[in-house]
Amino acid sequence: MNLMQYMLAQQAIEETFWRKAPGQGLILWVVIGLALGTGLCFLLSTVPTNLRKKVIFTFTFLAGLPYVLAFLWPRPISADFTNDVPRNTGEQIGFFINQAVEPVGTLTNILGGFLLGVGIFSLVRVHSIRIKRKQENWGYSLVLLSSFAIMTVVGFWDWRLRAFVDQTGALNVRDNWQPVNYAQDLLFEGIYQQMDSAMFSMIAFFILSAAYRAFRIRSVEATVMMASALILMLNLMGALTYAWGEGINNLVVQTGNPFLMNFKLNVFADWLRSTMQIPAIRAIDFGVGLGALAMGLRLWLGLEKGGVTA
Amino acid sequence: MTIWEKMQKVDRRILYAILVVCVCVGLFFPTTIPTDPDPSSKSFYAEVMKLEKGSTVIIQTDWTNSTRGESMGHFENLMRLMMHGDHKFVFYSAADPAAPQVARTVLARIVAERKGQGLREYKVGEDYIDLGFFPNAEATNTTMGSNLRSVWANRKSKTPTGGEVDVWQTPVLKDVKNIGDVDMMIVVTASASIDVAIQRLAQKVPITAMVTGVTGPGVLPFYQSGQVKGLAIGLKGVYDVEYMMVNGINDVEVEGKKVVEWDKVGKVDRVNEGTTFSRGRAYYGTLHVALVLLILAVVMGNVAMFASRRRKGDAV
Repeated sequence: MNLMQYMLAQQAIEETFWRKAPGQGLILWVVIGLALGTGLCFLLSTVPTNLRKKVIFTFTFLAGLPYVLAFLWPRPISADFTNDVPRNTGEQIGFFINQAVEPVGTLTNILGGFLLGVGIFSLVRVHSIRIKRKQENWGYSLVLLSSFAIMTVVGFWDWRLRAFVDQTGALNVRDNWQPVNYAQDLLFEGIYQQMDSAMFSMIAFFILSAAYRAFRIRSVEATVMMASALILMLNLMGALTYAWGEGINNLVVQTGNPFLMNFKLNVFADWLRSTMQIPAIRAIDFGVGLGALAMGLRLWLGLEKGGVTA
Repeated sequence: MTIWEKMQKVDRRILYAILVVCVCVGLFFPTTIPTDPDPSSKSFYAEVMKLEKGSTVIIQTDWTNSTRGESMGHFENLMRLMMHGDHKFVFYSAADPAAPQVARTVLARIVAERKGQGLREYKVGEDYIDLGFFPNAEATNTTMGSNLRSVWANRKSKTPTGGEVDVWQTPVLKDVKNIGDVDMMIVVTASASIDVAIQRLAQKVPITAMVTGVTGPGVLPFYQSGQVKGLAIGLKGVYDVEYMMVNGINDVEVEGKKVVEWDKVGKVDRVNEGTTFSRGRAYYGTLHVALVLLILAVVMGNVAMFASRRRKGDAV
């Protein structure tokens, strides 16, 4: 299967007002979309600043509208918005709004992918200029761009082989790999992923250093925090929890006082989590949620000074 | 300069060296440590084991190798549990473009491991589907909740013979019309992507999660409220699940006493095939060492500070 056939196979299976199956005209639609998109980008780059703000506000508002309406408009329980038939006007509007959510979501995903492209363009541009002008640390830029180019070429080559050339699934077995498959494995698994792990593992060193140098009991609050942290850390140590628990069990048998069970490390840690930690986190979450709601509304309605009205 | 003052100004490289030595030594001696799994881990294991054989599960895998110490153990355990239950599953990522490839690598390893043990080999397009990466978690999860068929429309899956097939024609998804037809959604994550999944989908499908130690406390409120049915947190969670795979819940007895007891459920079977103790067991001893070291560092740092202050007070 070549790329053209692959694209032709990508046909919508369910039609709504918001989405039409292009059928055999898919390529034509892609070309039209590309031409329109390019033209629109060109037009947007030429409009004055004041008009840009209005364009951004309009798109932001329209993108958010289906989600807000879908949340607020009453919806029939367990409705299948593609195959069911609405019974009245109210349901018809609900269906119409909910059918819009999926194309908007798809559009957002496409925009997310597009933004990756914008990021790559920006990265290449900035570092190319740095290399060209031999600015400070331009060697790092060279390494970055070389790595980027090698990773991209090898990655796409590997993908092309697996997606379009290998028709029998032979490349799923390592013994059948070609040099490019090994190269992809070396670059992704052998280098990139290992560096990712190494970067993250450095945190352990900083935590230990900070624990030794900075975690000081200077106040009542710090003492309470340290005591709580100590109990939760001890609870992570299964050997200690188990031994402590067995000791408490024996004590309960000897004294006949079941109240002592509350002093099991895991019971006490669980109590700390349930009655102290979780309510505190929930309170913070409420605050963050309200803030996000306010910020979302301000952005959506174009009221945020740092957003579309800047 | 007194010994206490010297202790307060100890070179950080000495601390780093101590950490490296202690942690590395622990890795060479994997030991089975008796433990009492956390209630959230027990819930997770009980919920997954409660699934009927051949259930359909959605797995959102949002981790990469930066958190492999915890997340890889979680994902390996999950794969073993899925394959043990003959469950069909779909996996994708909504947080990191590298995550699907990392998951593929682990999955391939577990498939090979089970094949080597003479167990049934899981096959792409028949037993599982790889959906890749979706760049926007919010939009993806919202659309999954409103119309699962459309969000994955036109997605293709590889078949065991190398061809391609529409994901909705595979044995994995052919009977699924909307998210309510899925038996469980499991999120393996090292980030707040779990929050989005809960907010958008918890009312429509039972959600369980396997998260890192850092992410765990943020998910606990959702577990307490019942929006997350089970939750394995951090390396302790990895070991807890492995421990229950070996001992079940209210199942295996030693000297007349249940190894893992829990009064919230009846008997939950252990896993009696393939690998059970694995990465969690290998790392759990090291976690003990690291935590002891951390506690010692805090205690010694404070002792040195107080002793140093006292000497200064005496001098005045």
